[in-house]
Amino acid sequence: MSTVASITVTAEIQRFDPSQDAEPRFESFEVSGLANMSVLDVVRSIYENQAGDLAYQFACRVGRCGTCAVRVNGRPVLACQERCKAQMRIEPLKPFPALRDLVVDRTEIESRLASFELAPLRNNAHPGQPELIAPDLAAKLCHMDSCLLCMVCVSACPAVEERPFDGPAFMLKLRHMAEHPADRRDRLDQALQGGMLECFNCDVCTQVCPADLSPAQAIRDFRRELFFGRGKEA
Amino acid sequence: MATASDIFLEHADVVVAGSGAAGMRAAIAAHDAGANVVLLAKGPRRANHTRMSGGRYNVVSGLNPADGNDAFFRDTIDSGVGINNHELTRILVDEALARAYDLEEYGLAWDRTEADKYYMSMTGGGTYVRTLGSIDEGIGITEVMLHQMHKRGIRICDFHMLTDVIRDGGGCVAGGLVIDLSKGVWRFFSAPTVIIATGGTSQLYETSSGPTINTGDGIAIALRAGAELVDVEFMQFIPISFVYPQGARGYTLTEPAHYGPRHFDPNAEAAQLLNVKGERFVLKHDPLRKEGSTRDVLARAIMLEILEGRGTPEGGVYMVPDPAVFDAFLRERPIYVKRLLENYGEPQARLQAPIQVMPSALYTLGGVRIDRWCRTCVPGLLAAGEAAGGVHGANRLGGSSMPDIQVFGRRAGMAAADDAKAARAPGDAGLEQARARVAELTAPMQRADGVRPTEVKRRVQKLMWDHVGLVRTANRLEESLRAFTDLRENVMPRLKVTNKSRVLNREWMESLELANLLDLAQAMAATSIERKETRGAFYRTDFPETDPDWTANLWVRRESGRVLVEKHAVAGSATPATAEAARVAAAS
Amino acid sequence: MSAATLPRNTTRQSEGLLHGDIARWLHRVSGTVIVVFVLVHVIAQAVLHVPALASVKAGAPWLPAVQSQHWIHAALYFSIVFHTLYGLKLLLSELGMRVDYRISLWAIVAISALFGLREVLRYAGV
Repeated sequence: MSTVASITVTAEIQRFDPSQDAEPRFESFEVSGLANMSVLDVVRSIYENQAGDLAYQFACRVGRCGTCAVRVNGRPVLACQERCKAQMRIEPLKPFPALRDLVVDRTEIESRLASFELAPLRNNAHPGQPELIAPDLAAKLCHMDSCLLCMVCVSACPAVEERPFDGPAFMLKLRHMAEHPADRRDRLDQALQGGMLECFNCDVCTQVCPADLSPAQAIRDFRRELFFGRGKEA
Repeated sequence: MATASDIFLEHADVVVAGSGAAGMRAAIAAHDAGANVVLLAKGPRRANHTRMSGGRYNVVSGLNPADGNDAFFRDTIDSGVGINNHELTRILVDEALARAYDLEEYGLAWDRTEADKYYMSMTGGGTYVRTLGSIDEGIGITEVMLHQMHKRGIRICDFHMLTDVIRDGGGCVAGGLVIDLSKGVWRFFSAPTVIIATGGTSQLYETSSGPTINTGDGIAIALRAGAELVDVEFMQFIPISFVYPQGARGYTLTEPAHYGPRHFDPNAEAAQLLNVKGERFVLKHDPLRKEGSTRDVLARAIMLEILEGRGTPEGGVYMVPDPAVFDAFLRERPIYVKRLLENYGEPQARLQAPIQVMPSALYTLGGVRIDRWCRTCVPGLLAAGEAAGGVHGANRLGGSSMPDIQVFGRRAGMAAADDAKAARAPGDAGLEQARARVAELTAPMQRADGVRPTEVKRRVQKLMWDHVGLVRTANRLEESLRAFTDLRENVMPRLKVTNKSRVLNREWMESLELANLLDLAQAMAATSIERKETRGAFYRTDFPETDPDWTANLWVRRESGRVLVEKHAVAGSATPATAEAARVAAAS
Repeated sequence: MSAATLPRNTTRQSEGLLHGDIARWLHRVSGTVIVVFVLVHVIAQAVLHVPALASVKAGAPWLPAVQSQHWIHAALYFSIVFHTLYGLKLLLSELGMRVDYRISLWAIVAISALFGLREVLRYAGV
């Protein structure tokens, strides 16, 4: 808006090329613009006007693809959604290996997702007409499946840091399938294998999620199922 | 350490370029037909246009008794102003439902009103309530499809950009030349079939809705490989998109907010659009349908207001939404309510205050010319989805791209698997050609001085937005065409890349993309000059009327570097073919 | 004004406190305080009442007094209440009760602080 104030941002960006550098270093840039710029806007401006050699990743720039996640002042965020601030230290998402500068290697993330076999395991083929799913359940399933897999929650999770735990997003994806009426795979068992019991139930994932989801609630639902048995019609 | 000329040789039956729904659906279908498939994603696999879509899906599901396949067909042809490839449109209409069930089988939960009844609404241009949707929108569609890819063990190569399709001596596809951007190494995927599913080319425009990777690579690659393009002068602009903040500018703002009660009732009125003087300017353009008019009319009307100085200081106009639809809007599209809240504020998110909107490049209507099985005129080369042209004609119905990419993605995959079975494995035929091409594509990396690709890209985007966008006219089009030719001849050979690291070198990638963008800019300008009328999304100020003589398609092909434009009768339509293959222009 | 709750505005995620981190650390620290106090208490009582440890009593005359410091009691009561309530919250939420992580944290902190404050006031003779 015309009423939006201007801001000068000092951004310290982690630079690291594993093929050339022994250690990551930080480089400082100044960017001026409107105060409602996103962190991604700042990074893009740096690339376009100051550092053509900067490696960063984004595609949709509106919180959809989930590929631009970075850490800003230590906190994992989606760069495209986070508003800029006067002092920013921008680093790649931990604990994933950096490919270069702000881009992480997601190979291990993808193979873990693949290993969970998240397609519904069906007893019967699709009926060829609308499958029977209660409207509220359909809405819940969709809400859970709007997870971006941006890995912000996995990066913020203290249990991932301290314990053998795959991370909140993976548990949410498993829970999505556990709630799906057609799926017959034992998702609780998979969650247990993925370290579900290691979660501190602290809801850091709920707070940092850029898509308003609660992986912690998915884990609580799994734990309740562990105590009281399966709520879903078998 | 890899050097520029090192190429790793790999083999596959079917190479699919593009990780959106069309590409994934093609890969799934080809795999299920027994082919060995590799899917290439230019960025991480989730970076695609499908994921950004609202995921609305036009289909005759039988739940609205008034609707039927013929009505859907007619709506599509009417919206496309008669130049759709009728055969493709018919396939789209006939197969959409089976593909919607496929998605449900994959795990998608369409919104419901009852356990066995889908929730339906209306979108831009349709005359019946027929559109399905899900709260997780395009995100859900891509997720369930990715799980199907994983289930089948189909190889997905992230950060792999297709740069060229290589043909053997007989003119058949020999494989794809690919750069692994994450390492900066070249791979030649020797394969008898390549499917282009790389999406559209909305990045040609200054203000666009789609992802930054939609640079029309596949369309340009197909053109270079000898395929024909069709309808490339048609670009769909969405009238309703975000104006600010900077990063979100141009992102589609979705139709329920604009449609209001019309979202569920074809006779209801849509949200009013006001210029900065408070005038309902749409009435000048469509007094009958008013703001409920089609996307093309609204986008043009808004653009003209802005160009004529009656826009807001931020470059938009005001939309006055109906707060009565807020609850339905929130239930159906929480992701958009969230974006409205974050970008504009709470009153706007609650549809209680005027929302600034502007038009933005949304969907590439034209693309690679395909037959009913997505085959191009080059043996072994197929195309599907936004990269292909002909299905939607001069304007697309809102909610028709989702069935398009499912229906034709699957067809492309099945046909490619068949073709691969029938073909002889190309072996390392084409490897030498690929090697020669690598040397050309690596040139910007060797140059010490020159122009950065980002600067050139900005110039192209500005030219396209100003002169080959919503409002076109002969002299501006010719001027732009000359500018594109000049950029190609004088600036492209001077492109340089700041950093010489081969790992994730964005400028290098942009230099490769830029060549594709320029190829398409040229084709779009050349066809726009030829089409001397106004039709659907295509508007010429010097020819403001629709001309029945132009109920025809323009095909583009390249012969020894020259762009050739030919006028052809509409395929599969009831009107007798005029066989008017008059070669009307030769540009560049 | 519609009653429907809007989605969250998540454009300032790097600012402010991480509630979960605070809760987790308070839970750990309060648990540690309780364990340490019990240890100190056992040793102090032993020093006071076991004749064989009289020499320790002479060497550390401050030890028995530790038990009756008002701020230590305040910390202890805060810790006991916080650790109990937060532990209960974890249990209940895992058994299916919906508890908001922000409201519950600050409610538990407030209740625990009241108990701590009561100790301070008690020592002050109020």
